[in-house]
Amino acid sequence: MNKWGVLVSLVLLSSSAWAQTIRIGVLGPMAYLQGRHTWYGATLAAEEINRAGGIQLNRRSYRIELVRVDTNEMVSVPDAATAVERAIVAQRIDFLIGGFRSEAVLAMTEVAAEYRKIFLTTGSAAVGLTAGRVDQNYGRYKYIFRVSPYKATDIIQTTLLQLGEVIQTLRQQLNIPQPKVALLVERVLAWDPVIEPASRIISAPPPQGYGAEVVGVWRPSAVATDLTSELTAIQRAGAQVIFTLLSGPAGTAFGREWGRLKIPAATVGANVDAQQGTWLEATSNLGNYVATINFIAPDIAITPKTIPFVVNFRTRFREIPIYTASGTYDALYILADALKRANSLEADAVIEALETTDYVGVGGRYVFDKLHDVKWGPGYVTGIGVQWVDGRMVTFWPRNWRVGNQLVGYAGTRPYQLPPWVVEAWRR
Amino acid sequence: MVLAGVLVNGLVLSGIYGMLALGFALTYGVARVLNLAHTAFYMVAAYTLFFLVGRVGFVEAAFLATFVVVALALCAYRLLLEPLKQHESTVLIVTIALALLLQELLLLLFGGQFRSVPALLPGFVEVLGVRVAQQALLALGFAAGVLLATWLLIKGTRLGLRIRAAAQEQEAAELVGISLSGAGYWAVGLGGLTAALAGLAVAPLANLEPHMWSPSLLVVLAAVVLGGLGSLPGALLGASVLAFAEVLVVNLVPGGSFLRTTVALLVMVIVLLLKPEGLFGTSFVEER
Amino acid sequence: MRGPLRIWSWPWVLLYLRHEVLALPGRTAILLFVIFLLLFPLFTQDPYWLRVLTLTAIFALYAASWDLLSGYTGQVSLGHAFFFGLAGYASAILGRELGLPPWATIPLGVLLAALVGVLVGLPSLRVKGPYLSLITLAFPMITLGFIFLFPRLTGGEFGLSGLPRLGQSRLEEYYIVIFIFLVSFLILWKLGGSRIGLVFHAIREDETAVRMAGINTVRYKLLAFGVSAFFAGLAGGLYAHFLRIAGPDSLSLFNSIQPIVWSVFGGLATIYGPVAGTFLLFPLLDFLRVVEEVRMAAFAFLILLLMRFLPQGLVLAVLERLEEECPRCKVRNAFTRRRCRACGVDLHLNPSAEFRR
Repeated sequence: MNKWGVLVSLVLLSSSAWAQTIRIGVLGPMAYLQGRHTWYGATLAAEEINRAGGIQLNRRSYRIELVRVDTNEMVSVPDAATAVERAIVAQRIDFLIGGFRSEAVLAMTEVAAEYRKIFLTTGSAAVGLTAGRVDQNYGRYKYIFRVSPYKATDIIQTTLLQLGEVIQTLRQQLNIPQPKVALLVERVLAWDPVIEPASRIISAPPPQGYGAEVVGVWRPSAVATDLTSELTAIQRAGAQVIFTLLSGPAGTAFGREWGRLKIPAATVGANVDAQQGTWLEATSNLGNYVATINFIAPDIAITPKTIPFVVNFRTRFREIPIYTASGTYDALYILADALKRANSLEADAVIEALETTDYVGVGGRYVFDKLHDVKWGPGYVTGIGVQWVDGRMVTFWPRNWRVGNQLVGYAGTRPYQLPPWVVEAWRR
Repeated sequence: MVLAGVLVNGLVLSGIYGMLALGFALTYGVARVLNLAHTAFYMVAAYTLFFLVGRVGFVEAAFLATFVVVALALCAYRLLLEPLKQHESTVLIVTIALALLLQELLLLLFGGQFRSVPALLPGFVEVLGVRVAQQALLALGFAAGVLLATWLLIKGTRLGLRIRAAAQEQEAAELVGISLSGAGYWAVGLGGLTAALAGLAVAPLANLEPHMWSPSLLVVLAAVVLGGLGSLPGALLGASVLAFAEVLVVNLVPGGSFLRTTVALLVMVIVLLLKPEGLFGTSFVEER
Repeated sequence: MRGPLRIWSWPWVLLYLRHEVLALPGRTAILLFVIFLLLFPLFTQDPYWLRVLTLTAIFALYAASWDLLSGYTGQVSLGHAFFFGLAGYASAILGRELGLPPWATIPLGVLLAALVGVLVGLPSLRVKGPYLSLITLAFPMITLGFIFLFPRLTGGEFGLSGLPRLGQSRLEEYYIVIFIFLVSFLILWKLGGSRIGLVFHAIREDETAVRMAGINTVRYKLLAFGVSAFFAGLAGGLYAHFLRIAGPDSLSLFNSIQPIVWSVFGGLATIYGPVAGTFLLFPLLDFLRVVEEVRMAAFAFLILLLMRFLPQGLVLAVLERLEEECPRCKVRNAFTRRRCRACGVDLHLNPSAEFRR
């Protein structure tokens, strides 16, 4: 061979050893915190994986290339679906990660299923994302996996456990034998089935229930921005605990006015706005003592990977990560792990590998069930309960969670704090 | 007990809605401009206040925010609204586009997450056994104050006389030597001023985010139409009717509090069907 | 000439094309537009582009329906999403409860929308002007409340998903929608240019005068509401089955404002104005995805600019440049012509001469 031939062959040989890329579309409402954190979490994971040599498949190393897709899902659901289609068709992405708003994720997963692209969702808890789809039409919907948060029914279970903790605290600290509970639950289909069973559990005597009393059920609209009427009514009903299930802007309005009017009732439940590091800024510093379920917090190590992730994230982006960040971070690693085990980019092989995932990430130990949801429970993904105390997010659950004959808790959790005005109002 | 809650909460909410509706009614009543960007101006005032409060004193921030919004309103009038006064539907589109543009600019500058504006009066008081935020009472006071001040201005000063004349009969006013565009500028400026005042009074009670102008606009439109277009006391009355309708729903049917806006709008529809010009409105005569 | 000219025969078609359509830039544009829509899949069958065009056609129909009501008769509807969303939901619910296919449920949904349109038009007999507009604004909001009141029936915030498709493939869906759109466009255009359309224009200008001429304006106003709601419902039904979701987004305030923006942008009271406006703005909004951060801001700014300088609408402004009316016989001519194509009169006489009639 002449020298040009040698040169050309060398170039060709080395190019085949160069990293190929796997294009992963990161979906989210990028103008909003939730979408931004999805992107940040993906960026951190992709950089780490690429720095460590990328993904090794078939004796080739693949570099992860992230494609940022702004779905605009907060404003328009069809816009989000179109964005996903464009990403798949025009931007040639191989896998999809992210999503936030449930209605939009439903539509986006529909598009993904149509094009047979694996989609790891990291923002929506809607049960219908997987139920009724993966089980009843596996062939079409097998591409959908939910990494975070866990499904809404698990969220309800967890928040009720946290409610039990708060009721216990009231009993012990304030000597109230039968605390009064107000239910403040957004009027959305996701929470509708909760009201009856929750009321039963709350009022049933221990050990089946909490032996408390439900003084009323308030159902504001998901887009409500003024909850003062509900709050004053709750106060007049004599409630000592407010169990909230708020995922929309009502969460911030609640926290702000609850704090301003010093409603003498402890809060617990789900308040998605309170999961954000900007909570106190959003509530004029009145949101102290509000508690909510969460999936990551800066103060405790759910797994050995949690704190390093949080520190990294805060150093780089100067914000406290929410679950879309940690979820996307874990999802990317889960995908990388599955690709390695499948040793192929072919969808069916990757799906099979995903279904046998057993990965310890930042948010817990991820194992998928038959519906492609993560398994809930001690030793898997439990979620946590956090409360804002003195301007910081403090984890209070699980601390002494009795499961069977074990006591489950994470190191570093602190007891739930009753707001001082609640203590004063109900001290006997 | 329920009655006390309804009364107090209703009164307070009337103040909040009324504060916003007044400015809108002013601009329409005088300049005959349906400024759909009015609540967007209120949002700009709130954001300016939020931005400045850390950096300069509160009073300076308040003045600056007012200045910014009034300037914005006057510029919008000069560049967009005055040249288009004949094309009514275009004015509608232009004001909506302006509101959208402001929304997107604020989204770019501040992001979508919620912020907050500090309250002038923190804490709460108990009225009739019902807890009320002091800031909410302030908003009520502001609304009443603005109504009084506007009434005095319109009825009691020469400027007010000019504005009234221009609103009543444009050609005759011009004949008498009243500058129509001057009156228009005054009206829009006053509208901007009330939007800024609303930002000071009401924004601390609301979620500060770039889309907040949209639900507020709905309430404002409903209130103004209910009370009768062009009538300032009508705007306040309309705001009160809607506020009380909402509060009644929440207090009487707690499980149905998500229906408060629906019920308020139903009330508006029924009132309009019974009294087609609104409560205080005059019959809508085509002005050619 | 070989004999008497038969209408609808090929010679007639060719002559018509040459003298009536191609003689005017506006009508040529419409012809090119129709051909483009019909032949587009020959250039590319990229599903993304087909999706964009299909959605544009649906929204163009929606905008045209709004224009018939608000542009022509002047009864500005600020809640047109009511008909759009109602038809979509009706079609979805009927399909779910009764198991009927889309070609049965969509017409049923559309008929419901038309009926509701007439009902919504009834208040217009008492309530006028901005008051009427506000009532129309309230209807979709009230419906949203009902959607959350009966979440099991309506799917609540998630809407009803998994709706049956319009066709087997994206291409088939494209042609079905385009065909329905073109036929509806034709109907609306003819209606607008007919005697009924003339009455609509007159009602907007001066209803009292129309009544004095002995015309029953009640009937015409209700007709406008009904027909407008019919086509808005048609757009809504197609939309729901194309996206396979009927959700509360379809009743949003934003969705009510969209047809207004497109119609005013294109030109009110023309039917082709809203269609042109939609076909210009909607793909543009999608195209601006490349600058996603400033997409909406750029869009809003563009609208502001255009409305400020072309308040009568872009299409009308362009048409004014390209075409003019003969002073004697009122027939439209291309701007390139010196003499009128119908009566031969000089089109560009000096101004003082024109006043001598």
